[in-house]
Amino acid sequence: MKIGIDKSALTLYHIKVIKRLRNKRKGEEEMRNNITKLILIMLILAFGVVSLAGCSNQTANQAPSQTSNQEETSAGEDSFEKIKERGYVIMGLDDTFAPMGFRDENNEIVGFDVDLAKEVFNRNDLELVLQPIDWTMKEAELNAGNIDMIWNGYTITAERREKVAFSKPYLKNRQIIITLADSDINSKADLEGKKVAAQAGSTAVDAMYTEPDVVATFDGGEPVLFDTNNEAFMDLEAGRSDAVVADEVLARYYIKLKGEEKYKVLSEDFGDEEYGIGFRKQDKKLLELVDSTLDAMRKDGTFDAIYNKWFAD
Amino acid sequence: MVDYISRLMPALLAGLDTTLSVFFLTLVFSIPLGILVALGQLSNIKPLVAVMKFYIWVMRGTPLLLQIVFIFFGLPIIGITFDRYPTAILAFVLNYAAYFGEIFRGGIESIDKGQYDAAKVLGFTPVKTYQRIILPQMIKIVLPSVANEVITLVKDTALVYVVGLGELLRAGKIASNRDASLVPLILVGIIYLVLTAVLTTAFQKLEDRYSYYQ
Repeated sequence: MKIGIDKSALTLYHIKVIKRLRNKRKGEEEMRNNITKLILIMLILAFGVVSLAGCSNQTANQAPSQTSNQEETSAGEDSFEKIKERGYVIMGLDDTFAPMGFRDENNEIVGFDVDLAKEVFNRNDLELVLQPIDWTMKEAELNAGNIDMIWNGYTITAERREKVAFSKPYLKNRQIIITLADSDINSKADLEGKKVAAQAGSTAVDAMYTEPDVVATFDGGEPVLFDTNNEAFMDLEAGRSDAVVADEVLARYYIKLKGEEKYKVLSEDFGDEEYGIGFRKQDKKLLELVDSTLDAMRKDGTFDAIYNKWFAD
Repeated sequence: MVDYISRLMPALLAGLDTTLSVFFLTLVFSIPLGILVALGQLSNIKPLVAVMKFYIWVMRGTPLLLQIVFIFFGLPIIGITFDRYPTAILAFVLNYAAYFGEIFRGGIESIDKGQYDAAKVLGFTPVKTYQRIILPQMIKIVLPSVANEVITLVKDTALVYVVGLGELLRAGKIASNRDASLVPLILVGIIYLVLTAVLTTAFQKLEDRYSYYQ
């Protein structure tokens, strides 16, 4: 008896459902058909991506403007003949790195290093291709052959010398200490117990650690590291950091932008260093060409003209 | 200020272009691939299931940034060289297909066994069963999770900076470094918010359309 009631109730429910389904607008049926079509199209595309992956491997090798073939570099040959043949040099730079190489408001890459490089290759009838790279990947990009040189405020250090061949130094630089104008810090000794900020991975950090006993006196026993110099400066301005250590060239640029009256540069610094241009170790010819052209530019005053354009007050 | 913003916008919009193209290409390829990954996992072919599980483990188990770096700098060592842009698309598609695959698998598995029985009784072939019964219902179930993933993708596109591609966030950082100002980054934030708002609305509309049982 009980079962019978359940059954009929169930059937009634089913009839309702069926009626409701029948009454559904045609549109929904169409929509579901469309979904089916969509899925089929997507499946076809999915197979497409697999074949595309295969194809782009070939096209990558054929597109000389971007990535050059791996063999070119791993063979260890001087690639100067190849560069001459194709008529252009690829310069790798971090396009966030004002004022050495960065993008202006028209999205054009400009800067001191860019102007220098343009002049150098102009004199040698080679075209200059600017390739933005991630700065932490610079040596990998160079040795993979994606770029022919690193030229972007690239400080010469012993570690980097092991991976790349450096040009002659073309610009001297100091690691200066900057504080707010009203700060009571006047010497390195005054940094004791203070928060000192710098850009992570920059040579400012290396320079500080050449004097480990000074670093040990900082608040926290180490510098506070930021992604960019700009952030280090903002931290200084917010009053969380007491001093910033940075490349003089970069620091002067920021100080000029933010207002010279706000900052104080200490007379003491964390040492001198020099900027160079990094090449693959086997690319001696390109290195010599750049060195000799830069020498010529120094003699005829072009170098100073470019320097004054970017750094004169 | 308005003047400064109008001078910033062209560079930011150029960055947005890359962001959007990476975003759309990734979606177009990774969703279908994700369905294949889901079906592969649910298949009866043991080796295929194992391959899919391994693939998902690798893709979900390592940072996307690392995968991009590996494809761009690692693969050339064994002679496979991709250009910058294809590298970014390939890495994103492979990564997101793994996540989508898991979402779709969950969606398919949440459909009652009775539906398969009913389809069989009604004489549907297995292909037709998936096509007309299982997948349409799956789409309805997975929509909120897919929306989540898609919105994450918009922001993940910023990772292409590692192969030197200039996208929206990088364009903002460049301007911020150049002008020693936070304004470009605030603008970038607003642009991302607008993108997310558009996507959220679109998915809400989709969900409404699929809510035919309510």
